[in-house]
Amino acid sequence: MASEKELTLLKEFTPQIEHTNIKQTVWMIFLAAVIVLGFYALYVQITEGHIVTGMRDNVVWGIYIVNFIFFMGISYAGALISGTLHLFKAEWRKPIIRIAEFITIIALLIGPCYILLCIGRLDRLYYLVIFGRIQSPITWDVIAISTDIFGCLIFLYLALLRDIAAIRDFQEIRIPKWKRKIYTFLALGYTGTPEQKERLHKATDIMAAMVIAIAVIVYSVLAWIFSVTLQPGWHSTIFGPYFVIAAVFSGCGVMIVVMWLFRKIYHLEKYITIKHFVNVGVLMLILAALFGYFTFSDYLTKWYGSERNDELLINLLFDKYYWLFILSNYIGVLLPMIVVGIKKFRTINNITISAIIVILALWVNRYLIVVPTLESPYLPIQDSRPAWIFYNSTWIEWALTAAGVAFFALAFTIGSKLIPIINVSELAESPQEEEKILE
Amino acid sequence: MNQYNPGPMKKVITIRFFWLTSLLFLISPILSAQNEAETEENEPVDTYLSFIATYTSNDTVVLTAHLFIRRERIPVDLQNAPISFTASGDGQQLTIGEVFTDSTGKARCLIPTTSLPRDKEGMVTYTADFSGTDNYFSASEVFISKPAALDVSFYEEDSIKYIRVSGIQTGSEGDDAPIANETVLLFVPTLFAPMPVGEIYLEEDGVGSMEFPMTLIGDSVGTIMIIARIDENDLFGYVKGGSSCNWAIPKHFLKQDKPTRELWTPVAPLWMIITLLILLAGVWGHYVYAVVQLIKIKQSAKKESA
Repeated sequence: MASEKELTLLKEFTPQIEHTNIKQTVWMIFLAAVIVLGFYALYVQITEGHIVTGMRDNVVWGIYIVNFIFFMGISYAGALISGTLHLFKAEWRKPIIRIAEFITIIALLIGPCYILLCIGRLDRLYYLVIFGRIQSPITWDVIAISTDIFGCLIFLYLALLRDIAAIRDFQEIRIPKWKRKIYTFLALGYTGTPEQKERLHKATDIMAAMVIAIAVIVYSVLAWIFSVTLQPGWHSTIFGPYFVIAAVFSGCGVMIVVMWLFRKIYHLEKYITIKHFVNVGVLMLILAALFGYFTFSDYLTKWYGSERNDELLINLLFDKYYWLFILSNYIGVLLPMIVVGIKKFRTINNITISAIIVILALWVNRYLIVVPTLESPYLPIQDSRPAWIFYNSTWIEWALTAAGVAFFALAFTIGSKLIPIINVSELAESPQEEEKILE
Repeated sequence: MNQYNPGPMKKVITIRFFWLTSLLFLISPILSAQNEAETEENEPVDTYLSFIATYTSNDTVVLTAHLFIRRERIPVDLQNAPISFTASGDGQQLTIGEVFTDSTGKARCLIPTTSLPRDKEGMVTYTADFSGTDNYFSASEVFISKPAALDVSFYEEDSIKYIRVSGIQTGSEGDDAPIANETVLLFVPTLFAPMPVGEIYLEEDGVGSMEFPMTLIGDSVGTIMIIARIDENDLFGYVKGGSSCNWAIPKHFLKQDKPTRELWTPVAPLWMIITLLILLAGVWGHYVYAVVQLIKIKQSAKKESA
């Protein structure tokens, strides 16, 4: 049965679950409209072919793959943050851990969709299973991502179970019968007996450790898709850890922005405090330093080696992509360091603004990894025209990108309407610690 | 419980922060725009033309002109530019025609050598000319050479296989003469660049030979093309000839002794399969454990309610 503290907390959060105000309805309609636009773009792409995108013979990957890497990155970051905080029993995590869990699963559902958008013949997708070779990094990625999706779903379910049971037991909540039935079904009859608690605790601990391990492996596999090829800029031994660091870095940014939004929308100032922003901000600062170190190390060795194609790539980055390179690798790295590192800048709004810039910078970073490399291949293709060599994204690609972001926001909004965005059961677990957690 | 309540000082810091960020964003494009402005020029650009004539078999010559400009010392090809070709000798001039450069900046033209005007020594002066536009200066290049031909043949002697190359310099009135005391390079065409396989020295009679390299790999029946080339010669410029034989090793004789990492091999290396199985078993084993715990939670709830 739900404890008294749980019920008190639930009383506070039930309005989010019971009612949807006009602002929220308009917001959801807007997001749905963006998703519909994305579907229209998808229809155009399927009927007219990939010629409607900017992808051509040389640059065969564009912003779809960038979005794929980006969404998978923030998903792994969510898994790493929630898993690590859970394992190390960081008490301050309790109000924000659900946000990390939601980020993990929602981003993980969106990311692989962008891979499907890159495929010209979707009707032949099953060939991957029939003719798939274990030697192919693409096969590794398919196996890794599907394994990751299952793992994250189990972890999320374990984390939600006690709150689902608490909602089931909370009689004052006014929700339709069918919704209550779903809660009853999903709660698995959990009543919080010592045996159930122990089993849940064991399973959650194991899955927390697993999601950390899987997140590292899966994102490394994603990095290896690039680094096992001999393309200039990709063939790097540090790409695995570099991608993992970049993923957690961008995930911290997304986490801070989502924390800020929910804090504002649901008036969670009491629960999500400056302490949480600073703690995640410090994590972001450390990751910014590591990301900067990896980036510098990667480009320094390429530049010093003076290999012809690496030089061409670096010239391209400092010429055509100069401004994006500065945003990605200088502003995106230095800004969180300045904001979080210098105490007087360390405010909630400042940390959030720097997180927004980090998200933009990390998206651009992935773009700079994918596109300029493909624009400077080792072998020239015959009869190549500038339009075939250089990449220019189209409205189709941007519409589908916007649809992905809209789906992320919509799923978060709907998720917060089904389950409290603050982990009620964990927060109620140690009332004497509450002051420390929320201070 | 401390609630977050930004005071006036923090608001000032936030505003300053906005300014700092905006400034960072503004400065970079301004600096970058200044750089661009410095390099921007309105005057026509110098063009460069490289031009060669390559004699091939069947009394033909391929004229190849490459037009480009230099941007920060890096050559950039000029596409769609008209190049006029002419041939002259002994006061006569023949207009060959105009060809537009392709996407690699090259204009090619193939003509027979029989009707070309020559000087007293049998030399032909080829000219490639780009007349220029409002944006690009004109460029012109001359290439002087004597028509020649290389013939490649194969023969077997005492069970040893040989490649024979004979070189002929062609006169204007059928007075052909051997290409003597010259080195000919031999190549095998590959997907990207010709692979050198040896050299032959042409004797006084214009003929030379070398043993056929038995390690060469051909197609499925062992057919291979041997190309003979004279490059950058003072008299003949570029001369090229070739012929095929079926003395190479047929491709299907090659077989792999063990699985490799290539995608088309049916079986992956054993270490890869073992690693993948260990990883998957480890991960999915833990998933099963977690699901079993959930099932047991459900069962204990049933027992309790019963």
